[in-house]
Amino acid sequence: MTTTHAGRWAGRTRRAIQAAVGALATVTLAAACAAGGPASSGGGTGEPHDGGDITFLIDSLGDTWIPNNSSISSFQGHIWGHVADKLVYVDEVGEVSPWIAESWEQDDDATEFTLHLKNGVTFSDGSPLDADAVVKNLDTWAFGAPDAGISPIGLFPKTYDHAEAVDDTTVKVHFDAPTLGFVPTLGYHGSILISPKALALPAEEQADLSNDIGSGPFVVESWKEGDSVVLKKRADYDWGPEAVGHTGPAYLDTITYKLVAESSTRTGAVRSGQADVAYNATPQELDSFKDQGFVVAVPRYLGFVNGYRLNTRVAPFDDALVRQAFQHGIDRDEILSTVYTDDWSPAESLIQSNVPEATDHSDSFAYDPELAASLLDDAGWTEGADGVRTKDGKKLELTLYPNPYLATSKAIDELVAQQLGELGFDVDIQAYDVVTFGERVSDNTSLSNYEVTRSFIDVGTVASILTDAENGEDWFGLGESDPRTNKLRDAVAQATDLDERAKSVDELQEHLLDQAYFAPVTQIVQRIYVQNPELHDVTYNGVAYASYYTAWLED
Amino acid sequence: MTATTTVVGSRGVATVRGWSAVVPPTVLVSFAVLLVVLLWSLLPGVLASQDPVNGVPADKLLGPSADHWFGTDHLGRDLFSRVVHGTASSVASALVAVTIGVVVGGAIGLVAGSAGGWADIVLARIVDVLLAIPSFLLAVVIVSWLGFETVNAAIATGVSAVAVFARVMRAEVIKTRRAVFVEASVLQGGSRTHVLLRHVLPNASRSLLALAVLQFGLSILVIAGLAFLGYGDPPPASDWGLLVSSGKDYPTAPWLVYAPALVVVATVLSVNRISRWLRRTD
Amino acid sequence: MNASYLRYAGRRLVQAVVVVLLAYVFTFVVISVLPGDPVTNTLRNPENGFTEEEIARIVSYYGLDQPIAVQLWQSLSHFLVGDLGVSLRSNLPVTRLVAEVVPSTLALAASALAVALVLAFAIAYGTQNLPRRYGQGVLRAFPSLFLSVPAFVVGLLLIQVFAFQLGLFSVIEPDSAWATFFAAVALGIPVSAQVAEVLITGLDHESRQEYAAVARSRGLGQARLFAKHLLKPSSLPVVTVVALTVGELLGGALIIETIFGRTGIGSLVQRSVSTQDLPVLQAVVSLAAVVFVVVNLLADLVYPLLDPRVRTEPASASGKAGLGEAPEQPILERQVSVP
Repeated sequence: MTTTHAGRWAGRTRRAIQAAVGALATVTLAAACAAGGPASSGGGTGEPHDGGDITFLIDSLGDTWIPNNSSISSFQGHIWGHVADKLVYVDEVGEVSPWIAESWEQDDDATEFTLHLKNGVTFSDGSPLDADAVVKNLDTWAFGAPDAGISPIGLFPKTYDHAEAVDDTTVKVHFDAPTLGFVPTLGYHGSILISPKALALPAEEQADLSNDIGSGPFVVESWKEGDSVVLKKRADYDWGPEAVGHTGPAYLDTITYKLVAESSTRTGAVRSGQADVAYNATPQELDSFKDQGFVVAVPRYLGFVNGYRLNTRVAPFDDALVRQAFQHGIDRDEILSTVYTDDWSPAESLIQSNVPEATDHSDSFAYDPELAASLLDDAGWTEGADGVRTKDGKKLELTLYPNPYLATSKAIDELVAQQLGELGFDVDIQAYDVVTFGERVSDNTSLSNYEVTRSFIDVGTVASILTDAENGEDWFGLGESDPRTNKLRDAVAQATDLDERAKSVDELQEHLLDQAYFAPVTQIVQRIYVQNPELHDVTYNGVAYASYYTAWLED
Repeated sequence: MTATTTVVGSRGVATVRGWSAVVPPTVLVSFAVLLVVLLWSLLPGVLASQDPVNGVPADKLLGPSADHWFGTDHLGRDLFSRVVHGTASSVASALVAVTIGVVVGGAIGLVAGSAGGWADIVLARIVDVLLAIPSFLLAVVIVSWLGFETVNAAIATGVSAVAVFARVMRAEVIKTRRAVFVEASVLQGGSRTHVLLRHVLPNASRSLLALAVLQFGLSILVIAGLAFLGYGDPPPASDWGLLVSSGKDYPTAPWLVYAPALVVVATVLSVNRISRWLRRTD
Repeated sequence: MNASYLRYAGRRLVQAVVVVLLAYVFTFVVISVLPGDPVTNTLRNPENGFTEEEIARIVSYYGLDQPIAVQLWQSLSHFLVGDLGVSLRSNLPVTRLVAEVVPSTLALAASALAVALVLAFAIAYGTQNLPRRYGQGVLRAFPSLFLSVPAFVVGLLLIQVFAFQLGLFSVIEPDSAWATFFAAVALGIPVSAQVAEVLITGLDHESRQEYAAVARSRGLGQARLFAKHLLKPSSLPVVTVVALTVGELLGGALIIETIFGRTGIGSLVQRSVSTQDLPVLQAVVSLAAVVFVVVNLLADLVYPLLDPRVRTEPASASGKAGLGEAPEQPILERQVSVP
């Protein structure tokens, strides 16, 4: 028996719309603030029209351009989003809608999926985007070509077995275990459709962006490594996702992505009218941009909130009371008002509140220094003359490691260190660059905490971080020791029904936060855009990438 | 040694004055600046009473005023206090760099200059290699090898200065060895070590001192440059270079860049002035 | 051109080749002992969830599982025939990456050198010809000042004023004439200080010579004396200093290119260092060493031809090619790159 997507995904949609209120507010609020400026807001005033060139300043253009190795890059994802299409579209509240796949079905135990493709879609080299091409892409995402230096896509379900082309527009996909997250994953930034001809090229040639042919609304006109990428509109494009309200060719003629490493130079250039969009501005600068009439967009991605995962195997977090004191000792309002602007909101759970399955658990970790102090007293940590608590001659010490992927992380950690210091913690901060962080922090199970920034498109991902079962990441150092966590993990991972899964996810959030395995801080905005107010109708997808497919410039 | 040396020799043209000569006012000012820097690094708590680590978040990004001479940063910390408390580490890392340069470079130069022959040739090539790689590039490669921390930036800066010290030391050693009084000492049967310690080293150390002082100022700049590129210590460390580097992200608060930058310029300028004065008077 | 000159030239040439090869090996060793490489780093990112077996297969594709000595030999033998290999970070041929960035850095370095020379000669002229009481002292302080200001501060200031306030150039087009000019000013200032110091020393020396006094006594004006007699001999050491600052221009480009958003050798190094992209760093360091060695070789070869007073036989006590081979005078003025 099969169910069509329309019925099964409706419940999800309802929840998504509820969650949408908060998420949309972020962007529109920023736009509204801008309305006082010289030009009109970033919303839709006037009629879209063809023409125009924009320049987007970005702080990095990532490393290689081999599609499989670069599509999840926070930087290159911007370019791939315009050059390549995806099978489904996931908007900023996690709602999945058709794109290249017009519809899909799944069997009852979520191990077999059938995708029905749009007719007449072509890659920009003229070859058809048909069932064969989709099968080749699915295989590439799942397996890569390790012997040719091409890795698989990180988050693609490991349960993938194989796919087959039934006819030109029908693909059947088989899994060896229930994989409810499969369809949303097709809308993740990793899952970009590339011409099979390009996928057959050796790594060195795939690394040349000009060879990587997609079916998207823009094509690569020119590019220079570490410098810029110029995209040109594709005139015969006619298969945009209906969810963005436009399916024909893009309005803009070209988009130039230009690498400018200095944050102040990027924003300064937009301020002085030399560029249209600056990526990753300093949050504290945003208010001054709004005052001057610029549009500021801070879309949230779907994923975990910014917070600390606490390692239950390492002192002092081997004691639940200390973990809870840590949770209650963080003053989120002070962090929001010092490091961020009004566009940021406090965490309500360990996952972002725009994730459809997210539920509000903010009471279980609310700021309460007195409670935190009494928890530490109960745990036997007594305050010494220097204000630092000790127990059995040991100091209440911990080290924070700012996450280099989040620009505000150092400032947040400095504030958290101050706040915890008042409670009697002795907090040290050790900041590393991306490479060193990868070596010394990312994989290091001997550290007491790790600052999380992580997006996902389907909440099923949460099951894979909880314990060490099946190559799990074991975020909290639990192993298989906590039966309730194990039970909820299985309920989420093996679910075949979305509503059932949502219930398990709710219980899971409550359990993890009550045990204080995770100390949430704020809802995360990893992508910040400062934009020329004459650019209208920009859309942001589920992983907070800006798309200029629907955008147009005022005259 | 090519005869270029015989055409222009800096020592040849330098005005020779005695140490008793009147100290120029600019040199006095320079010493005064360095005295302040020294006091800052020894007694930061006395000279800057505000907390350099924990700020008042509500007072963030305030401009310079009577309460905050250099303004406040993005977390509401007093920048003057941070500059003062960062002095010790900034000065210490420059000292580490100079020490490495003097000790390693000096040793190489000494051995090359006094041993001569094959040792000289081999050491010469090593020094040539170090000279041929742009020193800032060398420092960047080394610091990425050691890890991005201020102490490693200091080591990298020191290593990149080894070649310069080696060259000066060797030249001085050879010059002194050929000086009349040293040759006389050798003729009188002085041992090699004795001659080296008694005559060569004291003579060479004078120009080495002038170079070391100059290098100290340069090291502050190089370490600040490495910090600017992100190869320094994490917050809440407040080395001068790090302050400039983190300040540049707040263009609406220019004092975050220019206040610590001015301190750097004043310090390095004073050091350079003193080095020049040392060279003229030795 | 005599036999002794040819012997001198031959000796310098052999030394130059040895130095470049040693620089190559040195860089390789330093970077190879770094833990990790871009390939493994990316793969080990826990978000990817790769198995050890998958990682091992990909690492072996890049030859990174070979012993260091084997990797060095392969790398060196390819280098000798002009093959610079493939970047581990971008998967593109290193030759292509380097070729893309060289023109921009060359333009910047050449402009910076021009700025430095103009500034240096202007300052030097002033120190000799301005009234002693007013301008000279101030001008003589300029080189020290120039050496004390971090280049990144100058760069930030120039961008703030000329790009953002006055709109004279766009930071989006860092290769435009004005953008290049201001980047060159930031890069050229510390270099000009070194050139100016040598010039001033030379001019002071020459103007105390007997012939200058004679010329003055015959009523030759200070300006004409400067132009006709003092300038030429004082300018000769500039050749050597300029050759020595080549490395500094490249080193300084690391910071200046980052600030001005230029895509040049400096920014390529920045990206490669942060990802430990050995083949690219290897190529850039070797290239820098080649440029430095070649320029200095040329300077040393040209110098004796320009100035007949220079002897080309080794004059050191050891009588062998030692550390003192290159002109020694500017050593105190010879700076580590000042960022």
